[in-house]
Amino acid sequence: MEYIARAAALLGAGICMGIGALGPGVGEGFVAGKACEGIARSPENASLITRTMLVGQAVSESTGIYSLVVALLLIFST
Amino acid sequence: MEITREIIQIAAYLGAGISVSIASVTSGIGVGYIAGEASFAMMRQPRAGDQLFRNMFISQAVTETGGIFSLVISLLLLFGGFDVVEGGWYRFAAMLAAGFAIGFGSIGPVLGSGYTGGQACKAIGRMPKFSNAILGNMLIGQALAQTSSIFALVIALLLLYSTPLQPASASWGQVILKTLSLLAAGISIGLGTMGPGTGIGYVAGRASEMIGRHPAERPNIMRTMFLGAAVSESTAIYSLVISFLLLFAIH
Repeated sequence: MEYIARAAALLGAGICMGIGALGPGVGEGFVAGKACEGIARSPENASLITRTMLVGQAVSESTGIYSLVVALLLIFST
Repeated sequence: MEITREIIQIAAYLGAGISVSIASVTSGIGVGYIAGEASFAMMRQPRAGDQLFRNMFISQAVTETGGIFSLVISLLLLFGGFDVVEGGWYRFAAMLAAGFAIGFGSIGPVLGSGYTGGQACKAIGRMPKFSNAILGNMLIGQALAQTSSIFALVIALLLLYSTPLQPASASWGQVILKTLSLLAAGISIGLGTMGPGTGIGYVAGRASEMIGRHPAERPNIMRTMFLGAAVSESTAIYSLVISFLLLFAIH
């Protein structure tokens, strides 16, 4: 029985990281794409746009890191 | 349940079908988008026909990479001779997971590279004079987007070639544990590359189009593209790490 619980935890880890990586990847890409557009249109604000892009990506990344942490917990602490 | 060779073959056929069917749907969308944008750009700027034609072919070839990876894995599943009965449920899970990994893993990169190629064709139609700069940026961007499909290919090949045979002494519980961890490795990398591939493709597409509009800002745009693509790639690397752990850290 304990094997089955552990096996389910491992399957859960795979699904967790797989689906959890969907959102941040698309979101960060969208931020960076719009930042490229902004820099091309107003190059004098390049440093401001880059800074905003990085902050936005960091916030967007957080859910990816949550998935990673939960997946690692499922693999190693069950 | 006693495993027979036919049961393992079921996994091989299912994996091959999943992998090549999903990949052909998305390759069709990506490649078709490029051809559509190229045709529209030719209509606007018929004199740039040669550059557009060249750009269209090169970008379609790069976009098709994900589909070719899936085809390779399907052929390996069908004819690679992995369906030996000693492989047991380990092989069953590994073959299903390999098909799942590369099939779903090629969705994002293929759609992303398709978007990049389409936007590059649009940009060349607007500014044929800068077609070389746009083509260079497009190729770099498409290569970045395809990175995650290479991660999926690596995991699929590892699933096929490094899965051990099922030991005769393995208890039922151990078999379930290993089987589900192999399946989870395929699911993790297969779904995990979807987002990063699409996201990087979007970045590279916007960057290519903006180089066409404001060629003087090329260094700035390319720097931002690299930075954004690298951050966007991180979640694909997390999925790769989880897949490696599931493949090699579970006994």
